[in-house]
Amino acid sequence: MNNILERSGFCLKALVFHAEKCIGCKLCHLACSAQNEEIFNPRLARLVITSCYDREGLIVDGQVCDLCLSCVEACPVGAIVEKNGRLSFLEELCTDCGLCVDICPNQVIVKKDKGIGVCVQCKSCANWCPTEALTFEEVKR
Amino acid sequence: MTYTGTVLRIDLTTGKATKEPLNKDWAREYLGGKGLSIKYLYEELEPGIDPLSTDNKLILMTGPTTGTIVPNSGKLAIAAKSPATGTILDCSIGGHFANELKYAGYDAVIIEGKAKSPVYLFIDDDLVEMRSAADLWGKGAHETEHLIADALGDVITLAIGQAGENLLPMACISSELYRQAGRGGIGAVMGSKNLKAISVWGSGGIEVANIRKVSAALNKIKREDTMTDDNMWAYSDGTPMIVDLSQSTGILPTRNFQEGTFDEYEKINSAAVKSTLKAKKACFACPLACSNYVKKGKTEVEGPEYETLALCGSNCAIGDLEAIIEFNRLCDDYCLDTISAGNVVAFAMELTEKDVHDFGIRFGEIDNFLKMPGLMANREGVGADLAEGVRAMAEKYGGGDYAMQVKGLEIPGYEPRGSWSMGLAYGTADRGACHMRAWPAAVEAFGDIDPYTSEGKAELVIGMQDDNAVKFSAIFCDFWALSTERMAEILNMLLDYEVTAAELTRIGERIYNLARLFNEREGFTKKDDYLPERIFKEKLTTGATEGKVLPREDYDKMLAEYYRLRGWDENGMISDQKKKELNL
Ligand code: SF4
Ligand code: SF4
Ligand code: SF4
Repeated sequence: MNNILERSGFCLKALVFHAEKCIGCKLCHLACSAQNEEIFNPRLARLVITSCYDREGLIVDGQVCDLCLSCVEACPVGAIVEKNGRLSFLEELCTDCGLCVDICPNQVIVKKDKGIGVCVQCKSCANWCPTEALTFEEVKR
Repeated sequence: MTYTGTVLRIDLTTGKATKEPLNKDWAREYLGGKGLSIKYLYEELEPGIDPLSTDNKLILMTGPTTGTIVPNSGKLAIAAKSPATGTILDCSIGGHFANELKYAGYDAVIIEGKAKSPVYLFIDDDLVEMRSAADLWGKGAHETEHLIADALGDVITLAIGQAGENLLPMACISSELYRQAGRGGIGAVMGSKNLKAISVWGSGGIEVANIRKVSAALNKIKREDTMTDDNMWAYSDGTPMIVDLSQSTGILPTRNFQEGTFDEYEKINSAAVKSTLKAKKACFACPLACSNYVKKGKTEVEGPEYETLALCGSNCAIGDLEAIIEFNRLCDDYCLDTISAGNVVAFAMELTEKDVHDFGIRFGEIDNFLKMPGLMANREGVGADLAEGVRAMAEKYGGGDYAMQVKGLEIPGYEPRGSWSMGLAYGTADRGACHMRAWPAAVEAFGDIDPYTSEGKAELVIGMQDDNAVKFSAIFCDFWALSTERMAEILNMLLDYEVTAAELTRIGERIYNLARLFNEREGFTKKDDYLPERIFKEKLTTGATEGKVLPREDYDKMLAEYYRLRGWDENGMISDQKKKELNL
């Protein structure tokens, strides 16, 4: 996979989450679902930010697509493709096998009734984040 | 259209949950949140019912902005007839419950009757379960939330602690540990229904036409109107910022409102709170994040807010931040409203020092102070008296002139002798002494308006009451100082009809009048719009307010003008003409 990325000669940028800045507002979730699913539904966002209390205190945690490309590799029918550091999903090829959802190490692929949703690097979340807790940074491999 | 159009009605007596359509006409006239919940209560409650009987209803109400990306739209209104005052009562609670309820498919939940034994509700989209709370009863709200999370996972919960179970008129409802529907005993209404908690999880979403365009427009509004200097104090400091302002203007309640300044204020001000800050935290869809998650010594809390610092700090002469944080945490867990709790403890301290009655606690005594929340919530020892609130304590032991309450609700953290408009705001607030119905101190004591005149105060307070009434119905958080024009602009992105700013102000006026009408029906009259004698008679002795009172003649004048401008008669009764004008 590294080969593909190097070959592209493209400066790859992916999302990075900074927990210490996050206020838990979920605006990122709303921005993502609005942009990509045309609905306000935080559970359809292609990232998972949590900020809640357990018995030990406040837990802030976030998972975002870091362009590891595991899903691209895993998809048996080539329905997830990477081009110039951007993922795209080809719904007509998808067989709803769910392999990508299971393999994503960050668990940020959304399983839908039909097909899936991957982060397409649209930056809506980062544009909305009020505290710069989400940034796009160069992927180091 | 951002209403789901569905109301969930749950009868705890029969255990039945039914769906019914939202009353669209009422939604148009009252929007949601505060206004719409008051409308439902006004129509559905018989006058004169006992707030702690099965006749009372508990309403959870969202608004047209709930669940969308609109900044500061994360609030839920919780309403019932108040056990503390007998007035209408609506509380505003932040966190993540409101949006979750909307995603589950409901604009509102109306809870009626009483369960045979302790239960909690789980609303999981269409599935509504009444579950046994046998193992939760007797536990604090915090452990209750944790245990429910153990059982149900990723849900958002409203819970009561021991104070709610024991029907204290100052019992609140907690959510996500540190968010509260605080005032007027709303938690006791849950307790009276044997309802320990309500948990919700929703899988749905809210559709809006042209959602990408709307989102882009709202992001611009968020940048240019929400995250501005006018509002970013919430992020940089949060409400503790007010401590310094109140101290310098002499309106920081100290020693049960005997003074307006506190020598040790620097130990409890924003700088002190900031030195303990671990993280900033926001409600759903809020870019301002007013909450301070703090740790000091062995204790932690999301808070303490200004009201807690003032009422439980300076007002009890406690200049120890760690003690206030711990007191705050205990109150949140037992579910005691810190404004009322601080007031009753301070009142007990003064009664003890004045030899009126010995409650065994004096100003500044930290150890005794920290014992009070537990004693009150469980009605043990002196806590049994304190639990009833300052008005009941005064009726039993005396000291009524300095039992700091209006209509039975304890007074928040702004001394009316140094902010006459706050006096009027307390007197005319629908649920008793409240600073959320109008907070004119912002432009008066803390601003450019002369605090020591009755001139123009009625108009100021009315304008704020109406604006806030519509704001808490739309629903927006108080801390985004948005104009009604902006509100209209945003609502027009979401609704399938057009509203103007003028119409919104009219809706605010309608809501405020309906709340008054509810109270009128319950027998409240002009005499209930008055403040404790201390405010009228006793001169303050320190700081900027040294020598000040709020003379009764001036209060009379403000109140008369207020009634006149409201279109009410000289006894504060809403005129028939006003009722007709507002379609009440
Ligand atoms: S970059 Fe776009 S698709 Fe990816 S998580 Fe952010 S909003 Fe969603
Ligand atoms: S928008 Fe930013 S601050 Fe808000 S939850 Fe997402 S990452 Fe955290
Ligand atoms: S300003 Fe505070 S109370 Fe208001 S929505 Fe934001 S976090 Fe919640």
